[in-house]
This record gives sequence, C-alpha cells and structure tokens, in this order.
Amino acid sequence: MKLWKKLSVVTVTVLSAATLISGIAVIYKSMEYNQQKTIESSEQQLKSTAYAVGKDLENSLLQGYSQVAKNSYINFVIKKYDASRYILIEDNQVVCNLTPFELAAPEDERWGSFEVRSVIQKLEDQYILISGRKVAVAGNIEYKLVLVEDISELYGDMRRQIYFNLTFFLGAAVASMLLIFLLTKRILRPLQELQKAAMDISQGNLTRRVNVHTRDEIGSVAGTFNSMADRIEAQVTELSQVAEKRRQMLGSLTHELKTPMTSIIGYSDTLLNVNLKKEQKERALWHIHKECKRLERLSSKLMSLMGLYDNDSISMEEVSMQELFDQVAGLEEYNLRQRNIRLKYFCTMGSRRIDRDLFESLLINLIDNGAKASEEGTVITLTGQDNVITVADEGCGIPADEIRNVTEAFYMVDKARSRKAGGCGLGLALCSMIAKLHEAELVIESEVGKGTRVSVIFADV
Amino acid sequence: MNTKEFAKSSAKILVIEDDNSISELICMNLEAAGYSTAALMDGKAAEDFLKNPEHEEVALALVDVMLPGKDGFALMEDLQREEIPVIYLTAKDDVLSKVHGLKAGAEDYIVKPFEVLELLVRMEKVLKRTGRGREKIQVRDVVIDLKEHSVMKGGEKVSLKPMEYELLVTLAGSKNVAFSREELLNRIWGCDYMGETRTVDVHIGQLRKKLNFHDVIRTISKTGYRLEDLD
Repeated sequence: MKLWKKLSVVTVTVLSAATLISGIAVIYKSMEYNQQKTIESSEQQLKSTAYAVGKDLENSLLQGYSQVAKNSYINFVIKKYDASRYILIEDNQVVCNLTPFELAAPEDERWGSFEVRSVIQKLEDQYILISGRKVAVAGNIEYKLVLVEDISELYGDMRRQIYFNLTFFLGAAVASMLLIFLLTKRILRPLQELQKAAMDISQGNLTRRVNVHTRDEIGSVAGTFNSMADRIEAQVTELSQVAEKRRQMLGSLTHELKTPMTSIIGYSDTLLNVNLKKEQKERALWHIHKECKRLERLSSKLMSLMGLYDNDSISMEEVSMQELFDQVAGLEEYNLRQRNIRLKYFCTMGSRRIDRDLFESLLINLIDNGAKASEEGTVITLTGQDNVITVADEGCGIPADEIRNVTEAFYMVDKARSRKAGGCGLGLALCSMIAKLHEAELVIESEVGKGTRVSVIFADV
Repeated sequence: MNTKEFAKSSAKILVIEDDNSISELICMNLEAAGYSTAALMDGKAAEDFLKNPEHEEVALALVDVMLPGKDGFALMEDLQREEIPVIYLTAKDDVLSKVHGLKAGAEDYIVKPFEVLELLVRMEKVLKRTGRGREKIQVRDVVIDLKEHSVMKGGEKVSLKPMEYELLVTLAGSKNVAFSREELLNRIWGCDYMGETRTVDVHIGQLRKKLNFHDVIRTISKTGYRLEDLD
C-alpha cells in the first residue's frame, strides 16, 4: 500500500471514529436530558393533580355514598383533570380508568408512598411513561393516582435526530475522506518523484536528479539524495575510466605479447617441421632467442610498473642530486658511447628526499629514450635547477598530437623504429608513475625534427 | 624498401609485415615451400611498391592489418587495383575485424600466431581459386605438370595411380614442410575415409620406388613425411 493511502486511511478512520463516537454521545446525552425533562414535567403534573384530587376526595364525605354514587363522583373529579390520562386506584382496585390503557397490576406497592415513582414501558410500537403516587386519604381508604403518558413522540424525535446526524456524518466523512486523500497525495508527491529518481538511478541513468524544493523533511532528503547521486555519478565515471584504461592496457599487453609469441611459435614450428638450410636454422634460433629476450624485458618492465602500485616498496631518503647525476652518467656512459652520443650534465640542486633506485631508473629511462630518438654525434643534456630536472635531446621529436599519449602504457609513436631500438612502450608510463610517487609532474615539450625536453617538476619550490 | 629476391618462379608472394622477425619467418617458410617472396616493412612502402607501374608480378599478398604508414585495410584499394588477391595475417582476432577484412575483399583471414602448414594450405587454396596456381612443380629431376596431371622424371613419363599422384602433389606443393599421416589421410582420402595411416605408408612406399625418391621423401620421426628439396 502506498504511503499516502496509508496516511489517508489512518487519518480518515481515526477522524470518523472520533466524530461518530462524539455524535452518538451528544445524541444520547440530549435524549437523556429530554426524557428527564418529560418525566419531571409529568411528575409535576401528577403532583398537582394528586393534590387537587386528594383535596376533592377528602372534602366530599364519601363514606356515606353508595358505591355507584361514589364512582360517579370520582369519575366527575377525574374528568375535571384531563381524565384521558389518569387512573385512580382505590384500595388496589381500579375505580376510574379513562385512558386507552389497561393497568396490569393495580395492587403494585410501587405507588404506596407520597413520592412519585415513574417507569417507562414499551408497548408494541408505543412508549409510555407511567407515574404514580399515593393520594391523600380520606378515612381508611387508600387512593393512588397513576398518570399514563404516551411519549412515543420523544423516541421518534430521537430516531429522526440519529438519522439526520448519521446522514450528515456520512456526507461529511465522504467529503473529508476525498479531501484528505487529495491533500495527503499532494503533500507526499515529492516522495513519488524521489522514488522515481531512485529507480532511474538504479537502472543506470546516473545523470538523473530530483526536482524537489519543498522546505520540509522531504526537501532535505531530496537535497541529500541529489548530492549522493552527484557522488555516485562522479565515482562511477571515474571507475569506468579506470576500467577503460585497464582494458586498453590489457589489450595493448596482449598485442605486445602476441607479436613475440607469433615469432617464437612460428620459428619453433618451422624448426620442427620444415627442412631448412643450416644458416636459416641459425637465423630461426637467433630470432627465438631475441623474441624471448624481448618478452623478458617486457615482463620485467611490467613487474616494476606493477610494483609501483604497491607503495610499500618505496623508501624515501635524503639524496644528493649531484651524486645521483654522477651515478646515472656513469651507468649510461657505455650505452651512449656505443651510439656515439654525448651526455652533458650539470646540477645546482642540493639534496632531496627521493627513492634513489626509482629515481635512478627514471633518469636512465629518460636518457635512454633520448638516445633512441637521437642520431649519432648529437648531445643529450641533463640539468637540475631549483625544483626542475630536465632531459633534453636533439632527436627526431614527437608530433604534437601524440605528446599526451606517450605516457600511456604500450603507446609507441613509431612502432617499427621503437622496436628496433629495443623499446616496448612502457618506459614513459614507468617514468610518469615514478614522478607521481615523488609528487612531481612529468612535462614533455617537443618539436618534430628539433628534439624533445622532458622535465620532472617537483611540486614544492 | 627491403625486398628479397629469389628467382624461382616468376610471380612472387608479397609479404607486408612491419615486424622484422615475423616477416623473415614468413619468407623463410614460403621459400622453403618453393615460393619466391618480396617483403615490405610498412604501409607506405607497400603503397609505393604498388604504385610503381613496373613492379614485379605478384601472385598473392599476405598483409598485416596494423601497419605503420598505412594500415592493411586501407591498402586493400591499392591491392585490388593491381588485381592481387589478399590474405590478412594479423594479431587482431576480433570478429569485427575479420568481417571487415573479408567484406573489404580479402580472400582469407589468418590470425597470429599461425601454423606454417595452415598458412601454406590456405595460400594454396587461394592461389588455385584465383587461377594463379602453379602450373608446374619441379623437384630435382621430376617435373609435375598440374595442368596435364602428368609426372615426368628425366624426360620420361612416370605412371602413377590417382592417389599416388595426389600425395605427390600435396607433398611437393609444400615441399620441405612435414605432414603428419593423419593430415595426409584427411587431405587426400577425405576426412570420412575409414582407412588406416598404414594406407599412407603404402602409397609413400610406391612413390619412393617409382620416382626413386628414397632420400627425397623423408620419414620424420613422430610427425610423418616431408619432401625435401633445398637448392
């Protein structure tokens, strides 16, 4: 059941019950009051009539009258006082009854005192009020006077009132029910919007927001909901970007693995099944060896790249940059001399907190990259000033639209050339990762044909 | 342009592949099997080669898809203009690339890593289908005329039974490459042939005797047979 329906039903039920109960109570009370009033007025009448009748009966000396004369006298007296309502009882015998009713038990002791006693009796479709008392007595004869009054009218009134009240109540109940349903639904409409929005988001429409601006709790929930949706959207977008990058990297990795695999499988298959000349056999073996080496290089680079994702393997220490530069230059000396490339370097930086091994590998990677792009006889410069370390070469450069891609794993600007030089497309990805771990930024500037400058800029000055 | 010349038969197989060792691998196998090859290392070189009106006659092109300069799919236009049938030989193994390649007009699509024998068989099928199959195969002093279905040894006709002839053509068509007995059985007698691999041995024996090929058709232990002919 919907919340607005529940609220409406509860409200309507409680309201109706309260109205009904109070209505009934009011009707009942007013009935009781009316009845009381009727009884009182009857009793009042009875009292005065009884007094008057008593006087009449006392004054006339009835003892000496014959029974017939007495009776006609009594009849005369009663007739004086609206005889159709009174019954006179003489020594438990009805002596005069001009009412349309028959008195069932005239000997009843109820009316044996001067106090008025009343009782309401239901006769088929009539309600009658019977009141009675002892009348003043002459001699030793006891007279009782009974007043019988038809009060059906009173009950009819009550029924009419109940009927009217009930009709009115039902009308009001239906009207208020409709009104309550409508208002509750209206008040809770933002909740529906909220629910729809939540449903939309759960079905993947992450840009969905709630358009609720009420100042109540629903409004604040909507606000919270929207900021939650913002966060979710941001995180999901980020996650899917990361996943996409991973997927691309995995795709490139598979391709990078497939090329040497094709060679190795192909050459070994050839060696096994094909009749080759001796020098061809040697070529095939040489190729297998070379491709295995390439795989090994790839896997070790990949391992170090993976290793960098676990930050525990990093040990920062204070390192003198001049010393580091000397060391790197020493390591690169043989490699560069083979290609007939000169390395110039100078350092005005003091010492810094870095991971010595990682930083060494960063610089070596950058210098190797420079050397791969350079022609024989050119110069690579390594400088360290303030918070910037720069490796600059005079090589072939990188086309402007490729620069932002070169730090992606497995990205190679010129695949054939890069492969020939022993590259596997992970060097700059590694460098940018190392730089990031040192809170530094890798900035690449390049001009095709003139050379490339790669700067490692530390965040602090 | 890195072109290797092996003047054996007139039409060459064009190998367009940017990875040096794979290119050499393909050429090595094709040469051993008796084809002559021309290797091109990138898309641009291939385009230039095809645009040169005096380029050598090409029977078939084996083309990598991911090439520097101009990719394999883009090269299709140049190759079709020269009426050269194309087999793509690539690491791209997704269905979309395959469909794209074949729809563009390639005769076949082979995914790396590939087996040498598979490559040779598929090439042969394509050559036959496009009417570029070899007319004659020469093994030492034996000449197989594929048109006439005849075999001459030292100028004299040798009479072979149909299955013996098929076997000889299969072995000589991919010479220097080893076939397993099952493969030969499948290809010559058909896969529903219920015979035993002994059948192959018997026919090989007949061929060896009739052509005096005792040292030419070699038994390769654990594999099968190979027709050896290096020059």
